[in-house]
Amino acid sequence: MMALPKKRAISFEKRWSWLNKFGPLLALFLVFFFFAAFNSKIASFNALEIMVLQTVIVGVAAIGMTLVIISAGIDLSAGSIIALSSVVTALLMKDFALDPLVAALGGIAAGLICGLLNGLLITRLRLVPFIVTLGTLLVVRGVAKGLARSIPINAGQTWLSGLLALLPPDRKWMLIPPGAWLMVLLAIIVAGFLRYTKLGRHIFAVGSNEDTARLCGVAVERVKVFVYAAAGTFAGLSGLMLMSYQEQGDPTGAVGLELEIIAAVVIGGGSLSGGEGSILGSLVGAMIMTVIRTGCQLNGWPTWVTQAVTGIVIIVALAVDQLRHSKID
Amino acid sequence: MISRFVPYILCSLTLGFLSCNQGKNAQEELTIAVIPKGTTHMFWQSIHAGAVKAAQELDVNILWVGPEKEDDRQQQITLVDTQILAQVDGIVLAPLDDMALRRPVRTAVTNNIPVVIIDSGLKDSEDIYTSFVATDNREGGRIAARELARLIGGHGKVILLRYQEGSASTDNREQGFLEQIQEFEGITVVSDEQYAGATKAQAQQASENLILRFKASNGMLAVDGVFCPNESSTYGMLQALRRNHLAGKLKFVGFDAAESMIEGLRQDEIHGLVVQNPFRMGYLGVKTMVQHLRGEPVEKRIDTGVTFVGKEDLSRPEIRNLIDPNLEKWLAR
Amino acid sequence: MASQITADKPVDKPRLEMRGIFKRFGATVALKDVNFAVKPGEVHALVGENGAGKTTLMKILTGVSKPDKGKMLLDGLPYQPRNPLDARLKGIGMIYQELSLVPHLTVEENMLLGMEPVRFGFVRWEEMRNRVQEALQHLNHPQLKPHIRIKDLPVSLQQLVEIGRSLVIGCEVLIFDEPTSSLSRHDIDRLFKIIAEFKNKNLSIVYISHFLEEVQLISDRVTVLRDGSVVSTQELRSTQTTEIVRMMVGREIKDLYPRTPRKIGSPVLEIQNLAGLEKPENAIFVLRRGEVMGISGLIGAGRTEMLRAIFGLDPVRQGQIKIGIHLGPSSPAKRWLQGVGMLSENRSEGLAANLNLADNMTLSKLRGFGPLNLVLPRNQGAVVQKWIDLLDIRCLSPAQDVAELSGGNQQKVAIARLLQHGVDIMLLDEPTRGIDVAAKAKIYEVIDAFASGSAGEGRAPGAVLVISSYLPELIGICNTIAVMFRGRLSAVKSVEEIDEHKLMMAATGQETLK
Repeated sequence: MMALPKKRAISFEKRWSWLNKFGPLLALFLVFFFFAAFNSKIASFNALEIMVLQTVIVGVAAIGMTLVIISAGIDLSAGSIIALSSVVTALLMKDFALDPLVAALGGIAAGLICGLLNGLLITRLRLVPFIVTLGTLLVVRGVAKGLARSIPINAGQTWLSGLLALLPPDRKWMLIPPGAWLMVLLAIIVAGFLRYTKLGRHIFAVGSNEDTARLCGVAVERVKVFVYAAAGTFAGLSGLMLMSYQEQGDPTGAVGLELEIIAAVVIGGGSLSGGEGSILGSLVGAMIMTVIRTGCQLNGWPTWVTQAVTGIVIIVALAVDQLRHSKID
Repeated sequence: MISRFVPYILCSLTLGFLSCNQGKNAQEELTIAVIPKGTTHMFWQSIHAGAVKAAQELDVNILWVGPEKEDDRQQQITLVDTQILAQVDGIVLAPLDDMALRRPVRTAVTNNIPVVIIDSGLKDSEDIYTSFVATDNREGGRIAARELARLIGGHGKVILLRYQEGSASTDNREQGFLEQIQEFEGITVVSDEQYAGATKAQAQQASENLILRFKASNGMLAVDGVFCPNESSTYGMLQALRRNHLAGKLKFVGFDAAESMIEGLRQDEIHGLVVQNPFRMGYLGVKTMVQHLRGEPVEKRIDTGVTFVGKEDLSRPEIRNLIDPNLEKWLAR
Repeated sequence: MASQITADKPVDKPRLEMRGIFKRFGATVALKDVNFAVKPGEVHALVGENGAGKTTLMKILTGVSKPDKGKMLLDGLPYQPRNPLDARLKGIGMIYQELSLVPHLTVEENMLLGMEPVRFGFVRWEEMRNRVQEALQHLNHPQLKPHIRIKDLPVSLQQLVEIGRSLVIGCEVLIFDEPTSSLSRHDIDRLFKIIAEFKNKNLSIVYISHFLEEVQLISDRVTVLRDGSVVSTQELRSTQTTEIVRMMVGREIKDLYPRTPRKIGSPVLEIQNLAGLEKPENAIFVLRRGEVMGISGLIGAGRTEMLRAIFGLDPVRQGQIKIGIHLGPSSPAKRWLQGVGMLSENRSEGLAANLNLADNMTLSKLRGFGPLNLVLPRNQGAVVQKWIDLLDIRCLSPAQDVAELSGGNQQKVAIARLLQHGVDIMLLDEPTRGIDVAAKAKIYEVIDAFASGSAGEGRAPGAVLVISSYLPELIGICNTIAVMFRGRLSAVKSVEEIDEHKLMMAATGQETLK
């Protein structure tokens, strides 16, 4: 071994780990100021509220997706679960006249069941997550359409609608809608869970090296089932948000949304090969995509520009990530 | 990628078998496949109901098969190919794309399966299909423009929120709208470059951002009118206006008539809806096909008409029938 | 610098020469003024502890990285490879420790990968075949045919393909990086024969190895690297192995195999008629507190399978495993709870490379690091730091990723996990493979302290079951040894009754231990 000049080496490492942690946040500010330079309206309170609002559906699901991606898995069924949960919630309120809270719990439970199904299929049949969730993507979407008889379900106005709506003037003191606060709260809890609990560490261990985890007595299968069940639950909650936002249970809603959710996690520093990812990063990733969309639309740039710019940001995020890793090596 | 060609190859292979199978027994009940663009929107449910009505009256079978998503051209192509293989007697199709569906339609016709096109057109294919039964979408857009101009008093700023790239029927509505609105000198179109996208949530987000863009410092919109060319964009805009407490503060003309949108009309949140007659479209689509199969002459172009519906029209029975065609009666399972 | 090299005669002109090579990575100086030369027909060994700079030097030689200062000459002309392929085309081929072959391609395709002879865009198969045939003749192995797919070949033959890859293109300098670490005795002999032939054909060989006996056996000269500088370059005939070790570590390792008095206690692990899916068959032994029991044998004899079956990683077909009061097969999670820990022979299984040191060390028992069973990184780090100091693990902090540590330090982290967990029984599979002498010494020390009960305040003596292919090590650290041959475990013998010769005879099936 070489005698390392210790102090300098540490500061070198620290610099990169700092970038590791705050890279996505830095990117968010860059994108934000870029658009603000074109149109200062994006920096208004109203615009910020709208952008947070529009991030919640993807953001909540991204919390669960982050757990899955850290464990080196993937959940392609998230978009379908979101639709199913919105349909179940609306149905319970409309056809069964249940209390909104009970209906909402029903929608979330539907998500939990789908997630459990994913987890059990992956661990019991030893199938690749990509394939299993590709299958459940179709199954769950089909069930959602079947339940709703393929038409949107108007559940009517309840307090649920206020979960993800612009704040009325008398409640502006809340700064962002209650649904967004819920997202922030859950993000903090889950981030803490990942960092400070045994199960949280086990998720990282399974994603980083499944063999090592097994050798160390980690119940790998149970961790995986937990992770997919959690992802299903968060997708279910996200479906509740969709239902609140749209005031409809929409069986064709959130089509293809899983890709946006995965993109958010990846922009936020998640690695599809597992072992890496952060809740904060994923939310920031989701926020970056919203800022790009809002920014382009505020400037009246055509829709294709929005899509192209989002794609470029994803690629740049991955390239920076790659660079970051090669520096450390 | 290969799977994309499989149905095509299968079709070519079965071509030989099919050509031996001509001259169906006239006594046999006819089977007609009806292929919509999607299955969820109210619009398609109405077409379905109309088709069922025609089938019951004319004593034929219909097969109702639609793609999952309203932008899945690939799946619709496969659906058409499958119906050719299944040797249905005729296909009534609402093409998702005016170019991409030409090949399967041609394959069907060369296999002696006539095709009636409904809802939106197929480019340069008048010689192939039997008849085109549809709303005059361009005219629908023009009507919307005239009514919106009337509502805002002939001058002001308006927004067009487009539906989605590559959809022929809404393209025509958008074009018709823009053509007509330009004739009003006092009106300027301040935004026509945004597409709402496939889902309602996306439409709602795009609408929120448009509202943000044109919101003046006093919290009011610097826009007098808005037009959305289909159900999902209209619903998204309606939701966004409501959530911004701006619903009713500007004149809003939408397209199509889902339950939630009629509600908006009642509440003065929407000021007019250009309503097609999907029930009639489904009905006439199947009827025209049956007439053709039974050897009767049919018209090449059948217009199913559009109607402008304002709040005051809602009480009229013919309008009530149009916007709420009692689907349960026909679609009861 | 040692005086022996001044004996260079004009005819002994080096084929390859590296002069005054410097290389730094960030704040770390990896190489300092390194001079290194190989002559035609010479086997030149390069030795040094892990992290001494061998790998960096070879990376520069094969064009993977560029030196900050210094120059290289090949046959007296300046040599500046752009990448490994370019180096190979210029005549310098490297045979890596981790084989770099494409498993789904054939021997032939692998040997010519990246340099298929092409004319006008078409692969010239004819020429390809001829060249491969020629190279295979040099390697002279009946099983090696051009059309066999790599994944169908055993590791030892895959290595020959790797060598063939350099021969095909006509490399005159061949670099071997730890070529014997995964080979059986028989395959090693064959490899040495091939190397000797290369020598006769006037090729130049650079030989990197931790096995000093091998170095002694086949090399003409040896260069010892320490902390990025050359300590010495010497003729091997005149050098003792102990001398080389002294130069490598910079100090004398007096007692490599420490032996504190061990008090043999009650049985903790009793194995009866244990059989796995294929191997082992019918293993019987008893392990007691205070005992270090070694399992010797060839690679593939079933030693690893037996350990994994005991630990619950591999299925048990029949037989009984009794650990303390617990009976029957189990899962790794339960084994840990029963006080058994295992060290995998495969470091990529043993450690999660992109987890940090603290998480790796405490993964099997994330308890006691905070209230409410929370795992607070500060407490975790403090506990881990204790082991870092105790085992002399060279790292920046407990939060560093283990991937950034050297092999020896990684192995110490893996062993520290067992100690931190507080196990009573250690199952160690090749605990010192591929690591440097200083790290080995540390690990021997740990094993001895663990078995003698001198590891910590009030610790009862532990029991160790250790697999090793390195006989001096087994004899050095064990109280008892058994040999496994083709899935069958011999009787357990006290270390005083056996020697290396007997072990070797038993491992190759020529005699059984009685």
